[in-house]
Amino acid sequence: MKQILMGNEAIALGLIHSGVDMLSGYPGTPSSEILGNFQKFRDKFKLEAYAQWATNEKVGFEVAYAGAISGKRTCATMKQVGLNVASDPLMSASYIGLKGAMLLISCDDPGFYSSQTEQDSRSFAKFARIPVLDPSTPQEAYDMVKLGIEFSHQFESIVMLRPVMRVSHAREICEVDDSLYVKANQGNFERNIPRWGAVPPAGRFRQGLEQIDRLEAIKLWNWEHLIEPKTHLLKGSRVLCLTSGTGDGYVKEAVSELGIDADILKLDMPYPLPKENLEALFVKYDKVIVFEESFPCIEEQLSSPKLYGKLTKHVHLIDEFSKDKVLSAFAKAGVIEPNHAYQSEKYNKELPKRPPNMCPGCPHRDVHYAITKTFKKKKSIYTSDIGCYTLGLNQAAIDTILCMGASISMASGFSISDPDKTVVATIGDSTFMHSGVAPLINAVYQNHKFVLIILDNSTTAMTGRQTTPERTNPNQIDIKRIIEGCGVACHEYVYEQDLNKTVDFMKSLQEAYKTATAPVVAVVREFCVLDKENAVGRLGNVVVEVDEDKCVACDSCITNYKCPPMHYNDAGKMEIDPFLCAGCGSCLDVICPTDAFVKK
Amino acid sequence: MKYQIVIAGIGGQGAVFLVKVLSIASALANQKCLGTENHGMSQRGGSVSCYVKIGDFYAPAIDEGQADLLIALEGNEALRNIQYLSKDRGVIVMNAPKNFPKVDFETHSIDAFKKAKAKEFPIDALNVYMLGVTLALDTHFPFTCKEIEEAITAMNAKVAEKNIAVLHQGMNDAKAVK
Ligand code: SF4
Ligand code: SF4
Repeated sequence: MKQILMGNEAIALGLIHSGVDMLSGYPGTPSSEILGNFQKFRDKFKLEAYAQWATNEKVGFEVAYAGAISGKRTCATMKQVGLNVASDPLMSASYIGLKGAMLLISCDDPGFYSSQTEQDSRSFAKFARIPVLDPSTPQEAYDMVKLGIEFSHQFESIVMLRPVMRVSHAREICEVDDSLYVKANQGNFERNIPRWGAVPPAGRFRQGLEQIDRLEAIKLWNWEHLIEPKTHLLKGSRVLCLTSGTGDGYVKEAVSELGIDADILKLDMPYPLPKENLEALFVKYDKVIVFEESFPCIEEQLSSPKLYGKLTKHVHLIDEFSKDKVLSAFAKAGVIEPNHAYQSEKYNKELPKRPPNMCPGCPHRDVHYAITKTFKKKKSIYTSDIGCYTLGLNQAAIDTILCMGASISMASGFSISDPDKTVVATIGDSTFMHSGVAPLINAVYQNHKFVLIILDNSTTAMTGRQTTPERTNPNQIDIKRIIEGCGVACHEYVYEQDLNKTVDFMKSLQEAYKTATAPVVAVVREFCVLDKENAVGRLGNVVVEVDEDKCVACDSCITNYKCPPMHYNDAGKMEIDPFLCAGCGSCLDVICPTDAFVKK
Repeated sequence: MKYQIVIAGIGGQGAVFLVKVLSIASALANQKCLGTENHGMSQRGGSVSCYVKIGDFYAPAIDEGQADLLIALEGNEALRNIQYLSKDRGVIVMNAPKNFPKVDFETHSIDAFKKAKAKEFPIDALNVYMLGVTLALDTHFPFTCKEIEEAITAMNAKVAEKNIAVLHQGMNDAKAVK
């Protein structure tokens, strides 16, 4: 049956068609829609399957892994940076293996569209010694999910699927199975202490040896089933292109559009590679160029003086692929003359900058504004975390961003290293649950003095508003009680759109800080303007205008508050774009020194 | 057939909706289609660009100098993406005021914001309105009005009638301007 699917939908459907009935993960662009779509299909077709967001990727991985060692077919989803968090269990699970099947989906983001780092999960698979499949289109992603689950079952190994953003968020007409046949399969954990509970070194050492044997068997399988059949289609050019994932599409198009004489061999499983068999192919070629995104995962496994790639600096080292980059690699390797078929002039005059910015009406903006208004820049350090509120960068309300949860541990660190400044940490509710609780315990335990503000909009907003623990179970899991459980008071503020009130609340925290001997912790109860359930009735309907006579173009509103509808008009005065304004009215007070913002 | 479309706009204008409509239209017309969307960091008001490649393509992104059509839901976003247009085939359909900078491509522009301000159509249907303008003015556009109507209905039958009305309004306004 043909269906138009986004990559992440295709993956979700592939999981269903592979009989996966246990899914656990943590949202992160570009992976987030996999679990959500799985839930959608499950509910639509009334299938019995577990699919839930975990508090973080490590937890998600461990839940799915336990399912797999009980014999179920499971899957964990995350983005490449999330895999860092889950790497701890992955390393051990890779030695131990499993009984049923488990697909670890880690989505990469070449070009850093929405990530702190580029990274290459295939290299992580190599480090962990598990096989990895690298799809280049939604159709392939669908097929590879099915292959991966079967393969995982056959080899008792975790298998990684590594789609990149341009696969996860691509849309294609896919050929998929007709029926839906997930039915809850019964797990049955069989006690086997030497396997599941092995203590180093004796048990693990044996498993380590088995892992090496398993890898050899997988290499052979990779050759016999995935690579060798394709070698018969090679035409016998002088140049061989080894490709993987999306790299393949760019090479295929450039080669056919410009009539370049080259063979293309796509490696569906870029790790582990049958080195000897592949290198034997090189004999017939003058040059072998490796096109892969993002790290030299394939290239590092091969060796030959004929090999050109990232390690030899013929292929770009960072950023997403493009056909222009393909041509430049061909030219550097001396295959073609320099060619600029895929370059064109940009518009060279200045255009309005549109850096990522919080939505109009978002309560986070008010909190950041109130922080900088109260805790003056020269005397403060603002640590923050990963989520929509990270965009407070635009308001110069953030000094550091490292990784999930680090706002709190870094606040501890700054309170020791630069004690004359007030450290103000901001973190969202989902991030706090993900990795903020442990550093808060650490801070209370060691009496680190800083201000921590938890921005609680009860959703994982940035990745598309997935549910968070307190959202589903509000009576049991409550941020306020978690804070109190750590033995410190919780200052609570229920957000209102009157900016004065938010500033007043911040001043009360400043007061508390003066006499504090431990962290001053607050939770601001907010909402996300895109969250239909919660924002309803809380987003005003005020029409705001700027009084041109009063506006002195001092930049104050744009610099410190930066709501997207604000811009200068032809007369050089501030204006509010009525199509973007959410009508929250927050900007009416405080932010303009001449009170130019008025109600219409 | 090979036809490549860049859709540019700002977050909240529904560029992604157009990708969906066009991929459904491709399926209805029995064409291969590969589309990608930019998700993530750009919330409301950030730059958004999407690609739709119709025909025999493998690479998800559109390269510079390759696109046949640029639909811009906001004028400046057209300029920001101008390098994607093909030098000899490229056509722009954009929502921009009359006094907008001229560029070296066949350009069709309409001041849709002005019309929305005058409540001629609801602003949240701007994307569909611009698709109507495209249907009317881009002579190489690979879909018929009927195919687009069917695609809109397949997307969401409940609001299809309203959307199709806006589509026709865009077509009519465009013809009037021309
Ligand atoms: S998505 Fe929600 S939380 Fe994120 S910036 Fe927009 S309103 Fe704020
Ligand atoms: S009322 Fe002011 S603060 Fe609220 S969305 Fe409009 S411009 Fe932004």
